[in-house]
Amino acid sequence: MLAGCASLSPDGGTADVQALVDGNPLMAGAAAQRKPDDASQQSVDALLAQPLDAEAAVRIALVNSPRVQDAFATLQLSDADRVQAASLPNPVLSFSRLAQGSEREFERMLTFNVVGLLTLPWQARWAGQRHEAAKLQAAQSVLLLAADTRRAWVRAVAAQQSVSYLRDAKEATEAGAELAHRMAKVGNWSALQRTREQLLLADASAQLARAEQAAVASREQLTRLLGLSGTRTAYTLPDRLPPLPKAAPELGDVQALALRDRLDVRSAQAQNTAVAGSLGLTHATRVINAMELGVVRNTTFENDADRSKSTTRGFELELPIPIFDWGQARSGRAEAQYLQSAARVRDVGVLAASEAREAWQGWNTAYALARRYRDEVLPLRKQVNEEMVLRYNGMLASVWELLGETRASMLAVNAGMEAQRDFWLADTDLQLVLTGSSPGGMTAAQTASAGDAPATGGH
Amino acid sequence: MNRRNFFAGAATAVAATTVSRVSMAALPEPVTQASTATAPPLVPPNGRPYNPVVTLNGWTLPWRMNAGVKEFHLVAEPVVREMAPGFKVNMWGYNGQSPGPTIEVVEGDRVRIFVTNKLPEHTTVHWHGQRLPNGMDGVGGITQPHIPPGKTFVYEFTARRPGTFMYHPHADEMVQMAMGMMGFWVTHPKAEHPLIEKVDRDFCFLLGSFDVEPGSATPKVNTMTDFNIWSFNSRVFPAIDTLNVRKGDRVRIRVGNLTMTNHPIHIHGHEFEVTGTDGGPVPRTARWPEVSVDVAVGQMRQMEFIADEEGDWSLHCHKAHHTMGPMGHDVPTMIGVDHKGVAEKIKKLVPDYMVMGDKGMADMGEMEMPIPDNTLPMMTGTGPFGSAEMGGMFTLLKVRRDQKPGDYRDPGWFKHPAGTVAREVSATGAPAAPRKTGTTPASPDSGSATVRKPSGHGAHNH
Ligand SMILES: [Cu+2]
Repeated sequence: MLAGCASLSPDGGTADVQALVDGNPLMAGAAAQRKPDDASQQSVDALLAQPLDAEAAVRIALVNSPRVQDAFATLQLSDADRVQAASLPNPVLSFSRLAQGSEREFERMLTFNVVGLLTLPWQARWAGQRHEAAKLQAAQSVLLLAADTRRAWVRAVAAQQSVSYLRDAKEATEAGAELAHRMAKVGNWSALQRTREQLLLADASAQLARAEQAAVASREQLTRLLGLSGTRTAYTLPDRLPPLPKAAPELGDVQALALRDRLDVRSAQAQNTAVAGSLGLTHATRVINAMELGVVRNTTFENDADRSKSTTRGFELELPIPIFDWGQARSGRAEAQYLQSAARVRDVGVLAASEAREAWQGWNTAYALARRYRDEVLPLRKQVNEEMVLRYNGMLASVWELLGETRASMLAVNAGMEAQRDFWLADTDLQLVLTGSSPGGMTAAQTASAGDAPATGGH
Repeated sequence: MNRRNFFAGAATAVAATTVSRVSMAALPEPVTQASTATAPPLVPPNGRPYNPVVTLNGWTLPWRMNAGVKEFHLVAEPVVREMAPGFKVNMWGYNGQSPGPTIEVVEGDRVRIFVTNKLPEHTTVHWHGQRLPNGMDGVGGITQPHIPPGKTFVYEFTARRPGTFMYHPHADEMVQMAMGMMGFWVTHPKAEHPLIEKVDRDFCFLLGSFDVEPGSATPKVNTMTDFNIWSFNSRVFPAIDTLNVRKGDRVRIRVGNLTMTNHPIHIHGHEFEVTGTDGGPVPRTARWPEVSVDVAVGQMRQMEFIADEEGDWSLHCHKAHHTMGPMGHDVPTMIGVDHKGVAEKIKKLVPDYMVMGDKGMADMGEMEMPIPDNTLPMMTGTGPFGSAEMGGMFTLLKVRRDQKPGDYRDPGWFKHPAGTVAREVSATGAPAAPRKTGTTPASPDSGSATVRKPSGHGAHNH
């Protein structure tokens, strides 16, 4: 018997998925976990005890996030489908009791779908391929989660940093407004002059309030990805983003890299192979898609005086006669699905190459911008500030001009920090685009799998 | 002043980069001056004798006699004038300095002046106040073609009238004067003149104003009123030399105004009479005693007095902003504004911040805080009793009994005879005075106006 040749994988495919994402820079050595256990929860608590860096955030998300658990559950479903497909169809027992006057007839028949049995190896192989694709998709989910977590972490740290700069900027206007108030109080300034300074303060306060709200929002986004609740949400983030790397990495041909390594490309290819297999199956079964073979035992009770009964034995073969359905529709559908899946392989390929070019360009632009801020804008801004202090010292400029310059400085530092943030976001995008998936999510891959009804014999 | 430059022919000759040497060969060798120190009077080596003037922080241009004609050579060129140590300004001037050298001649002298233009644009020279042929008046486009860059023009006329004059361009005048092109001209009387006294000391200087953005070095030529550098002969106090005289000397001070506003020139400790203008000597009946004389725009005034009071007497423009260095005219008045709490807040954001101006601006004279490069402090200069809190158009008339005739050296600070310096009075040491009984005038503090300027430090907590 063929039954029992396929069995459910004990870890729900976790090890297989981990093998696919191992060594990916987005993972930074973290391991995805299907179900959080005590040990992993303790490690989460240990990580949360310190300011959370990007790697720790990824580590926590991969054991704790509902999203990764969802992905593994999906994978497990696919595993179940695979095992199901590789199992022998069950024989069908039918029993009938017929009465005519005093005559009774019992018919017992055990039927078996012969086509199902004959196509079992096809089905098993195809389901295996499908499961491989599902693993690739689960791996993409893991990488996307890692990327999303990194991005959320970058945004949360940046937003928190932004708040501190804007708080300084606001403090500068606050000092100006307070002095303006005292100027007016002793008669040195008019209401107009005082009000203008107060207006600046109102503006700076509004800007700070928006930044504070953005900080809360981005932190909550991170918290959700980390799957944290309760007191665990009180984790701390570092004060600043990591510094820029010294130089751009030598990547060679980024397009080739993306076409070779991207999981969604590999997933589309695996899907295509599976569809091709199912196309062959459909061709093989296009005319005869069902054949029932039954063993019949028919017992008739006469119920007359001698209470005689007679039993007949035999077999029954049920074979649909292809008069109306010659299988053109199923065959056409399978072919269309194959063409569709082939088109999607090309589509994902075009997408991957294009995204690789875009992300590489985006990385370089973000890197150049962030460096320009770090190496040019901020030093110049600092110099302007120092010159303004000298002018203030010489009574050539007022304290409001000094404070205004200070505020402008804080805004420039903030803009520089945003450039640094955008660099780290671009960096995550590039890593994902080259080795993982489309940064837009798994849209392409998901579309490729949607509506992918099993193209079996229609049973 | 290095006299060798004048007479030894070893003068720092103008490099003939833009001016052909051939065309220069027949001209008097131009003499140029690198020092901003006050040169000793140039005793005339030839021609009619006269009592030379002393140009404050300047010099007199030597000449050569050519068949009875005094020949001078002015070179209009870009110069770097040190207006104060550490404060150098890119100007346009003559023969290495701005203002250019003083030209001294005698009434009746035939004068020939070669003008070589080493500026990037054309120029002319107008001889302010002179009687001369119209074609020698130096108005570009009106009385003569402009002197193109690299060319030399010659002016020739007779110095007909004794007096105090100036020279300056009359071509792109606004720019060229804003850049410092100006010079003094003195025509001495050839004989005793009933209205022109013989004096022991004869000083001259031109009033100049420039707008130099703090931290920069070139005047803004488009400024019309908001200048920030006010100078005597393009020097600012305390970098201006003092007027050093012997007690009892008859002193003449000639002042010309080439700025765009008037300047009331005020001398302490003495009364003077205005004995001449650019129009000539003032009739005796028209003279009256003054301690200040307003020198209007484009005018010259000649003040004379006997320096009979010993001491260090201030001599300055009486417009208070003109005895200041660069200041922020948009800086609001901070007097009486309490910085408590706010100062700490600002210091957190600007660590070098210090509260200034809440008690007045005298802090500026005392606090030596770093200011932009190549920028004059707003007010500086220290005397024997502390900060002078002065800058710009300010100097001192130093009268000493032991100053030798002809000695123009600075004698140092005045040593006051005992009991002649204002001093603090202790409550018990105050001389008794009869007190009025009855209604006493209200003290300033009891009025409705609040007197905010505190008497000393400690009144503010910052
Ligand atoms: Cu003045």
